[in-house]
Amino acid sequence: MSVKKIGLVAGREFMAAVTNKGFVIGLLIMPAMFAILFAVMPRLMTSTSTVVRGDVALIDPTGRVAPLLRESITPQAIRARLERNIARALNSSGVTGDAAARTGAMARAIGAEFRLVEQPATADLAAQKRWLTAASADGQKPLALVVIKSDAVEPASGGASYGSYDLFVPPNTSERVENELRDSLREAIVSARLAARQISAAEVTEMTAVVTQPSVTVGSDVERQTATGFNQAVPFIFCGLLVFGVMIGAQTLMTSTVEEKSSRVIEVLLSAVSPLELMAGKVLGQMAVSLLVLALYVGIGVLMLSSFAMLGLLDPWLIVYLVIFFLITYFLFASVFGAIGAAVTEMREAQALVTPVMLLLMVPWLLAAPVARDPNTTMAIALSFIPPVNTLAMMIRMASTSPPPLWQVWATIAVGLGAACAVTWVAAKIFRVGLLMYGKPPNFATLLRWARQA
Amino acid sequence: MEHAIELRDVRKTFGANVAVDNVSLAVPRGAIYGVIGPSGAGKTTCIRMIMSILFPDTGSLSVLGRKSALEAKDRIGYLPEERGVYRKMRVGAFLTYLAQLKGVTSETAAARVPDLLERVGLKGTERTACDELSKGMLQRVQFVGAILHEPELLILDEPFSGLDPVSVRLLREQVQRAHARGATILLSTHVMAYAEEMCDHVLMIHDGRKVLDQPMAGLRRQFDPRRILFEPLHDGADVSGIASMPDVLKIEPAGASYAVTLVEGAEPSLAVARIAALVPPARIEIARLRLEDVFIRIVAGGGGLDEAAAALRSRLQAGTAAEARA
Repeated sequence: MSVKKIGLVAGREFMAAVTNKGFVIGLLIMPAMFAILFAVMPRLMTSTSTVVRGDVALIDPTGRVAPLLRESITPQAIRARLERNIARALNSSGVTGDAAARTGAMARAIGAEFRLVEQPATADLAAQKRWLTAASADGQKPLALVVIKSDAVEPASGGASYGSYDLFVPPNTSERVENELRDSLREAIVSARLAARQISAAEVTEMTAVVTQPSVTVGSDVERQTATGFNQAVPFIFCGLLVFGVMIGAQTLMTSTVEEKSSRVIEVLLSAVSPLELMAGKVLGQMAVSLLVLALYVGIGVLMLSSFAMLGLLDPWLIVYLVIFFLITYFLFASVFGAIGAAVTEMREAQALVTPVMLLLMVPWLLAAPVARDPNTTMAIALSFIPPVNTLAMMIRMASTSPPPLWQVWATIAVGLGAACAVTWVAAKIFRVGLLMYGKPPNFATLLRWARQA
Repeated sequence: MEHAIELRDVRKTFGANVAVDNVSLAVPRGAIYGVIGPSGAGKTTCIRMIMSILFPDTGSLSVLGRKSALEAKDRIGYLPEERGVYRKMRVGAFLTYLAQLKGVTSETAAARVPDLLERVGLKGTERTACDELSKGMLQRVQFVGAILHEPELLILDEPFSGLDPVSVRLLREQVQRAHARGATILLSTHVMAYAEEMCDHVLMIHDGRKVLDQPMAGLRRQFDPRRILFEPLHDGADVSGIASMPDVLKIEPAGASYAVTLVEGAEPSLAVARIAALVPPARIEIARLRLEDVFIRIVAGGGGLDEAAAALRSRLQAGTAAEARA
């Protein structure tokens, strides 16, 4: 094995990858997607009005809910309530900055405009239900029929519990309509009940309001504001980086191997380097490409965090482990992808062999949510020791809120290294035999036969 | 002096198919060795084994004094039959990369590339992307890739296939240049004329077996049909005297000329002088052996060297007789 030749192959592989137009585009896709998700989407949502409009019929035998509902169902009241809810949600997830300014816009965008159609208490329920499904004359859509119970404001004589209301809606009613209506009804009925007891509604609101304060995480050296959303996102982000990095490297490795084979440049190369040197050079070259991509993304992430003064939230060790796990996972998958690339003659043939391997890489995505939520279940622990998903599962667990004990981390690394070495060994054999095989696309049985032959 | 290439009872099978069957070979240093044989005969497999791209099932080989070409890779130049380039790479960068893999510094490679490209008629293509060149041009680029590191051993698998005559001449000049530098050259070809003109030794492989391994000079002697083509200067000249000359077996008219067959062991040059002295010739020549005839005969007959030589001789003589009757 000549280190110099491996270096030359790696250098060419790296340069060919990073000077490729597709690579640059691929590199920008992920940040672009995030940008769209976080910057463009809310703007798109605010500019597109999704205000619901329609008629709500009300039968109120008590006669005391209707006037209050008239107030609590106005667009202004609904918007005010929405703003309060959004602000509360944002507050508890620790988001700061210009978020508060955006709540108003969001609330405006997703508000509702209901027109209250009050019916006499004696109105025929069956006729009203028919109205729900009938096409309206003036273009206003029937949205709901509300029937207030007679004991909704004051308990029936001798009882202590209150009645509520019946809500009838036509088919395909959006959940939002119901939610807005329920909120409005709740406000109106509570106000009516308070008024019946001569209690001031404003006073009760003040008295029952306890402002939710974000908790403060106390570390050994630093105190910082707890950010729940951030903690939930971290495992996914790290798992994503790991999978993405491996995919970029392994995929490009396969493509370039297939290219060398189909363009028949391979035999000239083999007259200068051994198959093992070629494979080592290519694997290392693509590893450098993947590490560059990871460094770029992690760098952007760290910059973003530090610009929000949230850098203290990130454990720097996570990045160290990300690199370790990346290397293990990358070598495993890259050698498999390389072997597949060497075995086939065209990209088309590679697809059949690659799909199952890709699915393996996708398994952690499916399991990410349960593992991140409960990082110490038997399933999560078992997954951390089953290659090739062990590193991904462990990454999720480590980035979660209750990291695993250190011995498990090292056990995962040991198992991963063992698996990577074994797979690389077999893959190198397939690589050597496959390079000069042309013709019928191989299946997995053929690949294993080659591995035994070599 | 040790041989540049040595094969000892090398055998290679692919499943049930015996690609190379107990071939032994010794290529002396400084030789130009031609490997001929029909398609699928085992030429490329042989070459790939010499290059250690494939490994023999049994038998052993040595290349440039090493057990395997792997240990002498940097001293070997190889133009495979299955050749390709990195399509996106520029010609200069591609050639420099290949030379670097062969242990040449990038400075040396960069200095040699423009000159060699010019010599194969591709002046100024260094900055051109490979996929902008035609197939014939790429073949010349690949040839440059094989000689750029000035190898001691140059192995060319069908170097001239698909090239125009001008390109062939340019490449042949470079092969001669390498030979003059002292390099050993092993080239396989379908075109018998190239093997005949360029090589001083011919190896023929047929059905995985070596059926011919001779210096060109010896081959000519062995396959010499002992025949003189003779055309008298004057029409109707009396040639009856030729038939009664001591070395002459028979004389037969062949069109406007005559074919003179000599007896076994006769010296053609003496016979030529005597015939010319007897009847003034317009043209007189010793019939030259054509490698193509040897090739076709061996392939068609499937026999070994001796039968082939005998069969060829009788065929040529019979052919002459048939022409005479016509």
